[in-house]
Amino acid sequence: MSEPRFLIVDDFSTMRRIVRNLLKEIGFNNAEEAEDGAVALNLLRASKFDFVVSDINMPNMDGFALLNNVRADDNLKGIPFLMVTAEAKKEDIVRAAQSGANGYIVKPFTKATLEEKVQKIMQKNA
Amino acid sequence: MTMGHNDAFAIPDGMADAGAPALQEDLYHRIGHLTRTLHDAMRELGYQDSLADARDNLPDARDRLAYIARLTGDAAEKVLNAVDRARTLQDEMSGRAQNLKKRWAAVAVYTAGGERATPAGAALVEETCAFLAGLDGQTDQTNAILTDIMMAQDFHDLTGQVIRKVVALAQTLEEQLVKLLIEATPPEQRKKVAVAVAVTAPSLDGPVVNPEGRSDVVADQAAVDDLLASLGF
Repeated sequence: MSEPRFLIVDDFSTMRRIVRNLLKEIGFNNAEEAEDGAVALNLLRASKFDFVVSDINMPNMDGFALLNNVRADDNLKGIPFLMVTAEAKKEDIVRAAQSGANGYIVKPFTKATLEEKVQKIMQKNA
Repeated sequence: MTMGHNDAFAIPDGMADAGAPALQEDLYHRIGHLTRTLHDAMRELGYQDSLADARDNLPDARDRLAYIARLTGDAAEKVLNAVDRARTLQDEMSGRAQNLKKRWAAVAVYTAGGERATPAGAALVEETCAFLAGLDGQTDQTNAILTDIMMAQDFHDLTGQVIRKVVALAQTLEEQLVKLLIEATPPEQRKKVAVAVAVTAPSLDGPVVNPEGRSDVVADQAAVDDLLASLGF
């Protein structure tokens, strides 16, 4: 099986870089970046990705809109989608779950949390 | 509390009776009167100048916040660059140590009988092998510290979101001040006052700055997991 390809979506380059480095440390070296949901959706439609790690609060298209677009697209709806966000309101967490997110991490987070969630989601979707 | 047609709105008890429309009309009338009195008082006291000053200072405050966001972002990027360079050096050193460890292990076997080495040489070989063996653990520890330094840079994302929110609030406040300024300015001078561009505040809240005592937010990742588990996820 080829190495899974990740798409990291966050409007802050610092956070994209942190997530990319963490994924590398966990053992996933294949990752691309997008600065908002609109760019991410274009990338997802243009080439194959196996996992999306997305922020929520972003300009142009936020994480919820991206998730809804992904789940509504026949070619993309099966992609595991992990929210990594500073939004800590319960209604946002419930909304993410009901919209089809596979996991939800609140910032600030640890490497162990990211690793646990990614592995868990991958096992479920294997 | 009595709920209206839309459950998102609640009408306090005592206001949901037949007299409510009249009461509301009276309330609006009184608020309107107070507003007019306030405007007149501000105009008479010359407060439109203070309002104009406050309005003029808000863009400066926004610029300063943007400056903080830019500088903290640059600092975080510099740290991440340094972490990347340090990690590359660590990996190189670790690789070379692994290589040397194998070669010194071969020498250690060769000198084990003591026939081809002085006692000092044999001790040096043994000590070097022990040092190289311990280097792996130290490299792992250093890499873990570098990860901690990298993770600490998430402050830029979190503070950046808070700053963005404050900037949006400042813009809204500026807009309101402009409106107030126009209303407090004598009619003949109103054309001179610029109208600010309306700004829509973001609907998402960003990081919770003060979560204590709030029941609508989660305090940590464990609370997120509990909430999702209660929903069957």
